[in-house]
Order: sequence, then C-alpha cells, then structure tokens
Amino acid sequence: MQGNLTALSITIFIILTVVLIGFLSGRDKKVRSSVEEWSVGGRRFGGLLVWFLVGADLYTAYTFLGLTSTAYTGGSLAFFAIPYSVLAFFISYFFLPKLWKVANHHKLTTLADYARERFDSKLLSILIAIVGVLMLIPYICLQLSGIQDTLRVAGTGFINVKFVVITSFLLVALYTFFSGIKGPTYTAIIKDVLVWAIMLFMVVTLPMIHFGGWTPMMDRIVKDAPQLLTIPTDGPKGIPWFITASFVSALALFMWAHAATGVFTAKSADSLRKNAIFLPLYNIVLILVIFLGFIAFLVLPKGTDPRFALLSLIQSSYGGVAQGLAYSTIALASLIPCSIMAIGASNLFANNIYRDWINPKVKPSRLTMITRGMVFVVIGLALLFGLVFPSALVSLQLLGVSGMVQIFPAIVISLFWMNQTREATIIGLLVGLAVTFTVYGTGNSYGIYEGFWGLAANFLAVVVLNPLFVKKAKSSTNPVKEFLFNKKSKEAPLARKGA
Amino acid sequence: MKKAILTILVLLPFVAQLALLPFVNKIGPIIFGLPFFHFWLFLWIVLTPLCTYGIYQLQKSKGGLE
Repeated sequence: MQGNLTALSITIFIILTVVLIGFLSGRDKKVRSSVEEWSVGGRRFGGLLVWFLVGADLYTAYTFLGLTSTAYTGGSLAFFAIPYSVLAFFISYFFLPKLWKVANHHKLTTLADYARERFDSKLLSILIAIVGVLMLIPYICLQLSGIQDTLRVAGTGFINVKFVVITSFLLVALYTFFSGIKGPTYTAIIKDVLVWAIMLFMVVTLPMIHFGGWTPMMDRIVKDAPQLLTIPTDGPKGIPWFITASFVSALALFMWAHAATGVFTAKSADSLRKNAIFLPLYNIVLILVIFLGFIAFLVLPKGTDPRFALLSLIQSSYGGVAQGLAYSTIALASLIPCSIMAIGASNLFANNIYRDWINPKVKPSRLTMITRGMVFVVIGLALLFGLVFPSALVSLQLLGVSGMVQIFPAIVISLFWMNQTREATIIGLLVGLAVTFTVYGTGNSYGIYEGFWGLAANFLAVVVLNPLFVKKAKSSTNPVKEFLFNKKSKEAPLARKGA
Repeated sequence: MKKAILTILVLLPFVAQLALLPFVNKIGPIIFGLPFFHFWLFLWIVLTPLCTYGIYQLQKSKGGLE
C-alpha cells in the first residue's frame, strides 16, 4: 500500500493549522486560572458552542470508521447508532437542565462531584471516577487507532506513521494543557464544518462514481446484497440486540465524562433544552454515511480489512486533493474529541480520585495544575496501550457503554427520587458492573445487549435494597437535596414529567 | 388534555424507534431512495426534534420552565 503525497500534505497542513488554533484560543491566561475555567470554560458557552462541543463528542473518527466497518461486515446492525443518538438527546432534555442547575449552583465540574454531594459519599464519587477513567482511556485509544489507520493509508512510504501519531497526540495534549476546553471548542467548529461538507460530498459523489447515482446504487444493493438492508430477527445480534443496544447506549451517552464536560460548559439550562431539541438533526449526515459501508462491500475486493473499509474506499475512488480533505476530516474527528475526553478524564482523576481520596486538603491552585497535568498522563496512557498493547483493551472498548451506563441510577434517577439511598445506589452500581462483566465473560447474553442485563440488575438491586436504608436517608439532608427537592411546589410538575 | 398530549409526545419517540422496529424491518417500499427500514429511522431523526419542541412549548406555556 502506497500513500498519496498530495493527500498527505493536505492532511498534515490541516492538522497543524488546527493545533495552532488550539493554542491561540488559550491566549487569554484566564482560561487556565481555575479548574472551572479550564475544564468547563467558566460555564459561559452559549447554545451554539455547546452544540459544536457535544457534536464533537459524538462525531468521532471511530464513528465514521467503526460504523462503516460494521455496515461492511454486519449490514444494517450499524444503524443502531441512529435511534441511539436520537434518543440520547431526547432523553437528555428531561434531566440535563436539572443536572446543570445543581452543578452550576454548587460549582461542580464532574458527575462524580455531583454524586458525592448528592449522597454525601466519597466512596460513590471515587467509584464513579474510576469507572469513568477506566472506560474513557480505551475510548481515547480508539480515536488513536482511527488517526493511525488514516495516516497509514495516507502516508505509507513517506512518513513513519507511529512517529507522526505520537507527535500529533502530544501536540493535542499540549494545547489542551494550555487552552483547556477553549481549545477543542473552537477547533470543533472547524472540524464540524469539515465533517458536514466532506461527508455530504462523499455521500453524493461515491454512489455517482461507482454506480452512477444514489438510486442505481440502492437498486444494486437490493439485488445483490439484500441481506445488508434488514436486521436478522434472532441470533446473537438480531432485533432484540438492536433495540436494547440503542436504548442502553442512549441512556449512557451523557454518563461519559467528556459528554458531561460539554454539558457543564453551558451558560444556562435553557441552552441545553434547545440543544436537546436540535442535536438529533446531526444524524441526518450520519445515517447516509453508514451506507458508504455498503458501497465498500460492493466495490472493494473481497478480503479487504473491514477496519479500513471507508479509508480504502476513499483511496480507490478519489484523487489526491479529495483524499487529503477526507483524511484530514477523519484525523480531526480523532484528535479533537480526544482533547475533550482527556479533559473529562483528567477532571475526574484530579477532583475525585486525587482530591477526594488521596489529598483532600489540596490548594485550588495546585489542584488546577494537577488537573491540567493529568492530560499528559491520560493521553500518554492511551498512547501506551494503543501502540504497545493494542489487543489488551479490546474488552474494555466493547464494554465501555455497558460499563458507563451503570452510573445512570446514581446520576439521573437521583435527581428525581428524593429517598434514593447511598447504600442501595453503591450496591446497585457494583452489581450492575459485575453482571455486565459476567454476561460478557461467559458469552451468555441471549441475544440481548450486555449492558441491558447489567442495568436491569442494577435497577433491581437499588429498588429492592433501598427500603433497608431509607430511614437514615429520610432523616438526613444536605445542600444538594435541599436544592433539588425543597422548592417542590414550584418544580414538581416539570420534575415528574421527566421521571 | 395538555397532559395527555405531553405524555404522548414523551412516549412517541421511544415507541417509534424501539418498540415498532420489528414491524418496520423490511426493504420495501423504497421511499426517497431509502429502504423502508432506513426511511423510518430517517423520518424519526426529523420527527423527534418536533416532539421535543412540542414538549418544550407545552411546558413553557404552563410556566414550568424558569
């Protein structure tokens, strides 16, 4: 496989421009003056910036490469991503504004912070932080393999791919350290504009190049590969899997530390409501992009590595310039989410593992420095695992969503259920994780998504055990509980609708 | 009345995108160049925001949002 010099130069040029903008967005020293400034931009971002930030989280290199590769091998199962993300935003309408209000009022910057204050439990916040960091690092690795594959296709024969991957990630770590959340926000705008333009371009031109248009393409798929267009009714991954995977992933989306980071940057609860209304429209492009996996299935030689389905399709269909723009879009879709993920993971580590557990008396200025410094540790770990032991993380990657969703009762249910107890919530979380890992480990999922079994067990444990501890919870209160439940008369109608 | 509409708007996206999937899992008819299954998913990318918007307006008119 030989790269293309024009494509490679464009890719490198665009990456470097974006890195430069990442640095420039941190010119003002204020962006790194406190954890709140650095990680959630002082909560001053309006609707549009939040849209780009949350969109940047969702539309990663892995989304494009992973979903087209699933479509290439598994057909329409790949479309589970559509109901998943549409419903994720719909569900978020009912709890994010409330969560944001609590976080804003009590100056919280992570979900684990919220759980600690809501339940007066450092144990719970540490558990949530550990789950969050543990699941996020493999996710960063996925982004890393995305850019690595892209550079391999673009630059084989011209550059040392590993060296360039490491350099670009270190540059991203550096600008994240320097500019905080401002870095990925401004660069996310460039990334999203490129994503929309390039993906639309591919969706229009690739069917034309290979079939003479969208309709002839669809006719070909219906005739030659109809099995791609529907979902098996049973088997290990059939309709029940599709439904439960969509639903559980939708509940999990905003449990990810990087998604929560995006949410906490918002300047008002109303901007989150508006985002919840409009964000599903992001999927208009995504649903069409998944069809590119079908094109790959029809036109690429049999035996192409599914991981490279989209990249090989781009390589065999376009000239240097279009290739270059497509590669740089995918590269940016890998680097920018990575920056937000690193901020989310660093924030969890510094606030909820270091401060809550190791050194509670840390000074704010020192905590800010530790949070920022953690970016290098997180990205370093991701590089280490991604490049040195790529296979060690496969399970964690597959289990990421199923693991993350287990904090849903602690974060979301607790916003609406006043008498939810700390003890039941902690046991539920642990039971949920144990069941998820057991189902995955033994392979007995009965055609249902692993995380669904875990979450069901989690809910059951919370509901059954809660009455045992409820007496204590009823008699004690704290500022977060006061804030959530005490102005009941005013907020109750809305709260109940959401629950 | 408003409450009933609200409940319907809350449930509709879930019913359409999860519960009804076994019934829309088919290729024909092809609409706007998309097999029926994909057309259905596409349709709800557009209709879900309308449901959310309806809920938003209803809650706002009741003064439930500050």
